[in-house]
Amino acid sequence: MASLPPIVVQTRGLTRRFGSLTAVDRLDLELRAGERLGLLGPNGAGKSTTIRILSTLLRPTAGEVAVLGLDPIGDGDRLRARIGVVPQELAVYEPLTGRQNLAFFGRLYGLSRGALDAAVAQGLALAGLAERADDLVSTYSGGMKRRLNLAAALLHAPELVFLDEPTVGIDPQSRNRVFEMVEALAANGVAMIYTSHQLGEVERLCDRIVILDHGRRVAEGTLAALQRHPAVARRGAASLSFAAAEDAARAAETLAAAGVPCALREDLPDLEEVFLALTGRALRDGGAA
Amino acid sequence: MRAWLLARKDLGVYLRDRIGMLLGFGLPIVLATVFGAAMGTFGGGSDSVGRVALAVEDRDGTKASADLLASLGEADGLRVWRIEIAGEDATTARAKVAEGDFPAGLLIPEGYGTAVAAGEVPPLTLYRDPGKEIEQQIVAGNLLPALFDAAGEALGHRMMLESLEWFEFPAALRDEAHAILEGTWDGMQTLVRDWEEDGAPAPAGTASGEGVDAGGEDAESRLDFGAVLTDALGLEVEDVVGGGDAARARRIASQAHAVAGIAVMMLLFGLVACGGTLLEERDGGTLDRLRLVPGAARAILGGKFLFTWVVGMAQLAVLFLYGRLIFDLPIFRAPVALAVLSTAVAAAATGFGVLFAVVSRSRKQLEGLSTLVILLMSALGGSWFPLVITPDWYRFLGHFTLTAWAMDAYQALFWYEQELADILPEIGILLAIAAATCAAAHLLWTRRQRA
Repeated sequence: MASLPPIVVQTRGLTRRFGSLTAVDRLDLELRAGERLGLLGPNGAGKSTTIRILSTLLRPTAGEVAVLGLDPIGDGDRLRARIGVVPQELAVYEPLTGRQNLAFFGRLYGLSRGALDAAVAQGLALAGLAERADDLVSTYSGGMKRRLNLAAALLHAPELVFLDEPTVGIDPQSRNRVFEMVEALAANGVAMIYTSHQLGEVERLCDRIVILDHGRRVAEGTLAALQRHPAVARRGAASLSFAAAEDAARAAETLAAAGVPCALREDLPDLEEVFLALTGRALRDGGAA
Repeated sequence: MRAWLLARKDLGVYLRDRIGMLLGFGLPIVLATVFGAAMGTFGGGSDSVGRVALAVEDRDGTKASADLLASLGEADGLRVWRIEIAGEDATTARAKVAEGDFPAGLLIPEGYGTAVAAGEVPPLTLYRDPGKEIEQQIVAGNLLPALFDAAGEALGHRMMLESLEWFEFPAALRDEAHAILEGTWDGMQTLVRDWEEDGAPAPAGTASGEGVDAGGEDAESRLDFGAVLTDALGLEVEDVVGGGDAARARRIASQAHAVAGIAVMMLLFGLVACGGTLLEERDGGTLDRLRLVPGAARAILGGKFLFTWVVGMAQLAVLFLYGRLIFDLPIFRAPVALAVLSTAVAAAATGFGVLFAVVSRSRKQLEGLSTLVILLMSALGGSWFPLVITPDWYRFLGHFTLTAWAMDAYQALFWYEQELADILPEIGILLAIAAATCAAAHLLWTRRQRA
């Protein structure tokens, strides 16, 4: 039997209070190497607070936390060298160019000249910003800034990445590029925790989902497991897929003849798929495709 | 109707803006109070009017010189400091004025007592710092009653005769006029003696001073009152700073004060804005990104200090170069001293800028707090007007600001032509202010980062 990958994030009874407000309430969480965990929840559910604690920016009020086997408070510097954080805010310097931003953060991480040049070039290419690398960030579109925001968090090749709503306010093309960047990370075995209000994003990108509400974990599991959660009302229906529309019509006739009630519903693309099909997947804000 | 709706909305927003309210209503009240206090009108009393320090060097050591010292000590506008003329601290009143320790000094030479006893005009020398024009007016105005009190008759006699020259009486008639005045003088003395012996009531008007005031304003407005008085007192006057050209000296002194005052005030404003970039980083999210870099959390505040300090140095350099080009400010006379002093001033101002940024929770709070404190420090510290015209307590309070120490040191360099060694105490205090503000900012910053 194959052994499970090691645990990279573990919390036990994690609690954070701000005065009388409990933002995170006795949260137990676990993430294994290479895993992609989605944190879902409405505004104020405690997603960002949890990420701030795990990434050393905030002290917990109570509970135990270990990230990559380290204590975020006691081993802050050692841990920070191994994690990447993509914040909700566009945490880049608008009066600098995209290249200057990445070079600045790369130097702060202590990358040597050669490694720095390579990391900056790779970051710009990954974010689709190579052609606009020497333009001021203040001239970038929202999507370009978001991609740069993500690239800046990956310069030092972190083992674990926290992404806090990384696609807020951008067009489908840029969002698609962000997805591709995240999927590339996952393909390299980087573990990540991803928060979003966009359920489709989490569905697409994450292996496992934790749903938070009022700082508490209300459900956890794969999408399939959550769909069978006891608290979720199920319609009792099932669907069959057919490669051709004619096959579906014949099957429906057969079932009706046998006295089995059924409804035929065509599998149509969602609006985003329609949009991307009509406008293409290429980035529209001057970045390289 | 719509205009009223808009106005009502804006009023509602304005009333919720505490910082705006503070700046709009609180700051004018605070500044009016400070200005009122500076001009000695606080509470409507006269006790708070500023006194001018006068260094007195008594080389005579007689009862007459002691009487003069006592009279000077009772003058409302003077704060008399007796100079040590023997022992390790021995110096001269002249040196004290030349070094900028006193705006004026009085030498009572040997023979003063003898001259007073003989009814002659006593020999006195007044040393002046011509750059401190207001102080000279106050000194001259207070010397007159003090000298009259101590050696009245001789001076009165002398002034009566000198008045012929003040009013440009024709020289050809002066001998004859002197004889008439001598006769009048004798007659007046007899009149006063008889009045004192008879116990007669004072003539109408003199008790209330009405008679004294009549026509006085016209005379004052026509004359350079301070200069005429010193002539009338028979004082030998020497301007010991400024190279003998009093008008030029006054101009340079005013310009040196103006440039230094504006430099320090604008430095504080500029550096608070630089320190405010810390808040911009926080609001923009880059501060968290910096905090996520290993080891960078400790360097963030240091980086902000360095950046702000460099900008401050550049600001001072540009302003002083401008002062040199336009006002002939002597910035190259002691360049090392000026550089060291400016380094210390920029460091102290930077400390304040960074501390304000750390204390403030928002950009708006920073602007409100810094405007209030900087304007207060500028008023208290002498950026806007010389501290010498302010009451003692005001000057004392003023020296709790970095502005006062910076102004003292810049004045010492630009006007009194002092060297680095002379301004080391001021530099030390400025560096101590820098260290204290930086330590406070660091402590608060560290505490907040641990939250």
